[in-house]
Amino acid sequence: MSSEVVPSESTTFWQSIQRAQATIHSLSLILGPLPEPLTFSENPTISLLHDANISHDISSRLHHPNSGSGDDNLCRWLYDTFQSTDPGLQLVVLNFLPTIIRVYLSRVVSQKSLAGFEAILLAFYAHETVIRGGEPLTVILPNLTNPSVYHEAKVPTKSKAVDLNIAILSPALEPCGTVRSTKRARIIGVALELYYSKIHDMPLTSKQEFCEFCVDWAGHNRSLEEEKQSNPNSDVSCADQQEEMIQVKGGEEEHKKKGRRIPLPWELFQPILRIVGHCLLGNSNSEELKEVALIAVQCLHLRALHDMNPQAILASRSLLRLAKMPSDTIFKPHLVSDSSDLTASQLASND
Amino acid sequence: MLCTCSGQQFQLEENEMPQSPESLATRDFSVSGLSSKTGDWDSKFDDSQVDDVESTLKETLSLNYEEARALLGRLEYQRGNCDAALQVFQGIDIRGLRPRMIKAIAERTQHRKNRPKGENLQVNLMSMHSVSLLLEAIFLKSKSLEQLGRHKDAALECKNILDIIESAWPDGMPEGVRGESKLKEMFHKALELLPKLWKQAGFLEEAISAYRRALVRHWSLDLKRWASLQKDLATVLLYGGAEVPLPQQFQQVWGHMTPTSNIEEAILLLLILMRKVAFQEINWDAEIMDHLIYALSLSGQFELLAGHVEQVLPGIYSRGERWYLLALCYSAAGLDDVALNILKKGLGHSERKHKPHLPSLLLGAKLCYKNPYHACEGTNFAMKAIEFTNNQEKHLRGVASHLLGVYYGYCAQSSISDSQRLRLQSESLKSLHHAATIEKDDPEVIYSLGRENAIQRNLNTAVESAIKYLDMVGGSSVSGWKLLALVVSAEQNFKDAEAIVDLAIDETGKVDHLDFLRLKALLQVAQEQPRNAIDTYRILLAMIQAQKELKSWSTSSEGKAVKDLEMEAWVDLSFIYTKLESWNDSYVCLEKAKSVEIFSPKCWHATGMLLEAQSLHVDALVAFSVALSIEPDYVPSMVSIAAVLRMFGGKSLSLARSFLMNALRLEPTNHNAWLNLGYISKAEGSLHQAADCFQAAYELRQSSPVQNFTQTLSNCHI
Repeated sequence: MSSEVVPSESTTFWQSIQRAQATIHSLSLILGPLPEPLTFSENPTISLLHDANISHDISSRLHHPNSGSGDDNLCRWLYDTFQSTDPGLQLVVLNFLPTIIRVYLSRVVSQKSLAGFEAILLAFYAHETVIRGGEPLTVILPNLTNPSVYHEAKVPTKSKAVDLNIAILSPALEPCGTVRSTKRARIIGVALELYYSKIHDMPLTSKQEFCEFCVDWAGHNRSLEEEKQSNPNSDVSCADQQEEMIQVKGGEEEHKKKGRRIPLPWELFQPILRIVGHCLLGNSNSEELKEVALIAVQCLHLRALHDMNPQAILASRSLLRLAKMPSDTIFKPHLVSDSSDLTASQLASND
Repeated sequence: MLCTCSGQQFQLEENEMPQSPESLATRDFSVSGLSSKTGDWDSKFDDSQVDDVESTLKETLSLNYEEARALLGRLEYQRGNCDAALQVFQGIDIRGLRPRMIKAIAERTQHRKNRPKGENLQVNLMSMHSVSLLLEAIFLKSKSLEQLGRHKDAALECKNILDIIESAWPDGMPEGVRGESKLKEMFHKALELLPKLWKQAGFLEEAISAYRRALVRHWSLDLKRWASLQKDLATVLLYGGAEVPLPQQFQQVWGHMTPTSNIEEAILLLLILMRKVAFQEINWDAEIMDHLIYALSLSGQFELLAGHVEQVLPGIYSRGERWYLLALCYSAAGLDDVALNILKKGLGHSERKHKPHLPSLLLGAKLCYKNPYHACEGTNFAMKAIEFTNNQEKHLRGVASHLLGVYYGYCAQSSISDSQRLRLQSESLKSLHHAATIEKDDPEVIYSLGRENAIQRNLNTAVESAIKYLDMVGGSSVSGWKLLALVVSAEQNFKDAEAIVDLAIDETGKVDHLDFLRLKALLQVAQEQPRNAIDTYRILLAMIQAQKELKSWSTSSEGKAVKDLEMEAWVDLSFIYTKLESWNDSYVCLEKAKSVEIFSPKCWHATGMLLEAQSLHVDALVAFSVALSIEPDYVPSMVSIAAVLRMFGGKSLSLARSFLMNALRLEPTNHNAWLNLGYISKAEGSLHQAADCFQAAYELRQSSPVQNFTQTLSNCHI
C-alpha cells in the first residue's frame, strides 16, 4: 500500500513544483528576467511569496496609472495564478490583495476600465463562495448551562437541550458575475475575509501595507494628529510615545500618493478590523507592525465615531483599549487589585 | 525568581521527604545556604515515605549521575550561565529515563491511595524526589534554551514534561496527591511555559494545542493561573488568524457543547471567565471585558453584550461610561428607544456636574435621527454637541453640524408658520454648508445637502450635489441614485431620469431593483407611456411574487417594505387604468391592492379617484374620508376632497378652502392644492389672489418630482 502512496505523493509534489516554475516563468515574461535563486529554489512558491524585490516590483506595477484594465498582463497573471487552485500560489496572489484593493478603490471614481482588478476580486469572491457553499458563517453562542470542554455545568442539565443562539459572522453569499457598485463593498469584504483566513501565512510587508492603507481609507489621519498635538490624554488618543511617530509617518505620507477615504459600511469595516486586530494583538514579533496597526485602529476608531456606527465603535474601541493595556493583568496576583484600580481611575479621568 | 521559588519548595519538601545522605540534594542545600531542618520529621513517618527512602537508597548509585547533573545544571542556571547549564543538562538522557519516570509517578500516586499497608512497591521504582529533580532539570533546560533564543527547541524540551505527566496521569491530576508540591509546581510552570514558547517560536497551532492540553483536563491549577491561561487561549484564538480545529478526541467526549470554530471557542472561554469574575473567583479584569466586547461585536450579539455590561459591578466604569457603553450596545442591537433613554440618563440632571460626554451627545443626536418625531430632541443633542466640541474635536463638530442641519430640515417640514419654515430651511442649509467645509471628504454631508436642496426645490444645486455624492461613493449608494433620478425628474426631464434609473438598476443588487422599477414606471407614466409603464409594473409584480415565494428578505422591515411596494404598484396601476377610463381593470387592481393591505389611505384614495373619474362624487367623498380617517394627515385625499367640494360650489367652497389650507400647511409644495385654491379664489371673485395661486401651482408643478422627495429619500447613512 505504502509503496503506492509514496510515488503518487511525490508526483503531486513534482507537479506542484512544475506548476510553480511555470508560473514563475510566465511572471518573468511580464517582469523581465527574475533572479536565479528563485527559479531554481527548492520550494519556489514560498520563495516567490517572500521575495521582497518581486513583491515590490509587482506592487509598483499595480500602482501604475494604466494598470488594472482588462488587458493588463499582470492582472491576468494574478488571475490565472489564483485559478491554478494550488494553495501556495493562491497565497502569492492574496499577498497583493491590499495593494489591489487600494489601487482599485482609488480609481473606482474614474471612468477607466478596471476589469483586470475586478476579475481578480471576483475570483476571490467566487472562491470563498464555493468554500462556504454560499452559506453564512455562523457562530453558535455557548450557553453556560451546558457543560463544555472547558467547564462543568453547575446545575445538572435537563434532558431537553437548551436552545442554541446562532450569531452570524458573515451573511450568505450570492454568486456575483460582475462588480455592481452597491455590491462592491461586500465583494471586497469577502475577499478580505479570505485574506484573513490565510493571514497567518502572509508576509509581514503585506500586513504592514494593509494597515497603512487603512489609515487612508479611514481618512482621519489628520484629525488624529491635530487631536494628539493639543490633547494627548483624550479618550481616543493613545500613549504619548505614539505622538512623535505619527508625525513622522505623516511626513512620509506626503511623499507617497495619498489614498482616498472610502465609504466603510460594516460589511467592509468588520473584515478590516479583524485583520488589523490580528496585526495589533496577534502573536507578531514585529514591533513595527504593531505600531502601524495601532495607528490604523486609532484612525478606524475615529472614523467609527464619526460615522456613529455603534457596532464599529464598540469593536474598534475595545481593540484600542486592549492595545493600551499592560499585558497580563490576571496572572500577577498581588498586582491585580492595583491594576484594576488603575484602570477604573483611568477611565474615570478619561471620562 | 525561580531560584527563590525552588529554594522555598525545598524547605517545604524537606519536612516530608527525607533524602538519602549520599544524595547530592543535600549538598545543594548547603550550597544554597539553606540549613536542613531535620527537627521532627520522624514523627511524620508513614510507610510511603519509607518506600521513598527505600527506593531512593536502592537506586542511589544508578541515579546519582542524573541527579548530579540536574543539580549542577540548576546551579549554573541560577548563576545565569545558560550555556553551561544547557551543556550540563544535555548530559541527562531524558528519553531513556522517561518510561521510568512515568512509571514512578503513576505507581507512587496510585499506590499511595490504594495500596494496602505494608505492601512493598516494586523494586527499582524511582523516588518522587528524583522525578521532581529530573523534571526540574528538563524545565530549566527549556528555560535555558529560551534565553538563548532557541524557542522551538525550548518548546520541544518543555513538551517532554507534559508528555511524561500526561502519560502518568491520563485523566488529569488524581485527587489527593499531596506532597509532590515540587513536581506539581514544575508541571504547572511547564503548562504555562509551553504555549508561550510555541508562540515565541511562531508556531500558532502548537501554541493553541498546548493551551488546550493545559485547560481541557483538570490539573489543579490555582484559579488565577487557570483563568490567565484561559484568557491567553481566548486571545490567541481571537487574534491568531489561523483556524485550528479542536482535536477529534475532545469533540467526541463532550457531545453537543463543542465549539466548532476558533471564535466560538474564544467566546466560550471569555464567557466562562466573565462568570468567574461575576462569582468573584477572580478579580475584575478589563481585558476580558474588552476581548468579549470585540468578539461579540464582530458576531453582532449586542443584547447579550449589554447583559454583561449591566452585570459589571459599580465602581469599575464611571456612570457616564457605562451608560455610553450600554447605549452603544442597545443601539447596535436595534433597540434605539432603549438606547436613547439610557443616553438621556447619562446626560440628565444627575450628571450635570460633569462635562458632557461628547460621543454620547453625538450618539443621542444620531439616534433621534431615525425617527422624525424626535427631531426636536435631536436638535438639542446636536446643539449641545457643537457647544462642547473644542478645536481638537473639530471633525466631531462637523458631524454635529451635519446632524443639526438635517434636524432643522425636519423641523421646517413640520413647522406651522411660513416665516418659521423659511428660517429653519435657511438654518438647515447653513449648518450643512458649515459641516461640508469641515468635512470635505465626507460624502454623506453632500448627500444631505442635495436632499435638503431638493426639498427646497433648489434643483440645480441638488443635481450638482447628487452627482458629486455618487462620484464620491463610486455609485455604491442606492439613495444617491434615487436622489439624482428624482431631482432630474423634478426638472421635468423624464427621459434622462429614466436613463438614470436604468443605470441604477445596472449598478445595484436585486433587492434594490424593486424600488427603481417603480420609479421607472412612474417616469413612464409622466412621459405618457402607459403601455410601457404597465409592462414595467408587470415585471415589478412578478419580481415581488418571486421574492415572496423565496422569502429572500432577511428582516421583517424589509418584508414590510416589499409588501408596501406591492400595494403601491397595484394602486399605481389602478391610476393608470382610471386615466385610460378602463374602470373594470382599475377596480381589479384596487381589489388586489386591498388584499395586500386594506388599511392604507393610498388604496382608499385611489378608490376615491376612480369613483370621482366616474363622476360618482358622493361615493368618492366617502372613499376620501375613509382615507383621512385612517391617516388624518394624508394630503392627497385632502386636496381631492377639496376638489370635489369645490364642484358642489356655494357653502362648500369655504369648507374646501379649509381642507386646502390644511393640506398646504402640511405640504407647502403641493401644486394640486395651489391649483384648487386658485379655482376657489376665482369662484369667490378674488382674481388677484387666484392669479397668485395659479402662478404658484404652475411653478411648483414645473419643479415637482414624480415621487415625493421626503417620503422616498432616506436619510444619509451616518
